[in-house]
Amino acid sequence: PPEKPTIIKCRSPEKETFTCWWKPASDGGLSTSHTLLYSKEGEEKVYECPDYKTAGPNSCYFDKKHTSFWTIYNITVRATNEMGSNVSDPHYVDVTYIVQPDPPVNITLELKKSVKRKPYLVLTWSPPPLADVRSGWLTLEYELRLKPEEGEEWETIFVGQQTQCKMFSLNPGKRYIVQIHCKPDHHGLWSEWSPEMYIEIPTD
Amino acid sequence: LPICHNGYINCQLSLEELFDRAVKVSHHMHFLSSEMFHEFEDRYAQGRGFIAKAVNSCHTASLTTPEDKEQAQQIHHEDLLNLILGVLRSWNDPLIHLASEVHRIKEAPETILWKAVEIEEQNKRLLEGMEKIVGRVHSGEVRNDIHTPWDGLPSLQLADEDSRLFAFYNLLHCLRRDSHKIDNYLKVLKCRLIYNNNC
Repeated sequence: PPEKPTIIKCRSPEKETFTCWWKPASDGGLSTSHTLLYSKEGEEKVYECPDYKTAGPNSCYFDKKHTSFWTIYNITVRATNEMGSNVSDPHYVDVTYIVQPDPPVNITLELKKSVKRKPYLVLTWSPPPLADVRSGWLTLEYELRLKPEEGEEWETIFVGQQTQCKMFSLNPGKRYIVQIHCKPDHHGLWSEWSPEMYIEIPTD
Repeated sequence: LPICHNGYINCQLSLEELFDRAVKVSHHMHFLSSEMFHEFEDRYAQGRGFIAKAVNSCHTASLTTPEDKEQAQQIHHEDLLNLILGVLRSWNDPLIHLASEVHRIKEAPETILWKAVEIEEQNKRLLEGMEKIVGRVHSGEVRNDIHTPWDGLPSLQLADEDSRLFAFYNLLHCLRRDSHKIDNYLKVLKCRLIYNNNC
């Protein structure tokens, strides 16, 4: 029979749906199929994965209808071939705690002059499109980082829930790299960093 | 005309100000609950498989609360407010005992002790604030009937350490979950009632 498959990761990108991925069992060359089974806290019934396709191979996608929060999912994957089958260890998931958003978008960098003629940088950004922050269901916090292009050390700044920020005391003549990422308040994982953006501070 | 503080109208806090304060308290209360759960889990629950046993064992499980965004958006705001009140009331009793019983845990760190006391305080404060909000928003009478009893004190005092630790683990797991629900629902209500779903 095949070896035990392992569930690698489960993630929700917007606190409305989620996906789990597994590492297929090594099958000794025999054709092996995988079945994801789950039960939900408070229910005896065992369900099968509702959608094996949307998220690609070795995955199960749970749409809104199949996604509940504050509820523990007990998930297993069974590998089967002509020699028999083997089941993964159970994976306990509460979708509340596995939210990892996409990076922020629409990032703008604008140089302005203060009353004392000193340059400062105004950054603005938007939440990732999938994330519904307007209804209050998902609340995102942001962190930005920047460093001189040739520099090694990033300066990381947590900005809470705001979607704009002013940066002072930047070195004239330097070219800076800026990135932003986000995370749900309380639980979940930081998104990937947004693509690098560059800004040069004038010397005059 | 009496001089009112900032945020007051006719010397009454505006609904927006009431919600702002309630969300601040609920956010902090959940932060503390989550921290306390993690501290306890790291210190007392490693490798004991408590999560598998903690399934479907919260004393508030009988309260039908929204479990996804659609349910949270479709429920009438008065019903959601009453549910929040019901969950808060249901935690009054266990939090009183948690604060006193946590001292009996072997080498219970100071950080868990003061958090239990602080959370009990926050729960009371939030309950008072919510009753003001409900009084302001409710057309009818404020419902006091939503509440689930807690009978978990004996299990916090069990002689067998593993059983007693699981009882604490389960209570802290449920507190983390319910305080997160309260915080999330309040943020949804605030965006709906104050910002017309345009937070």
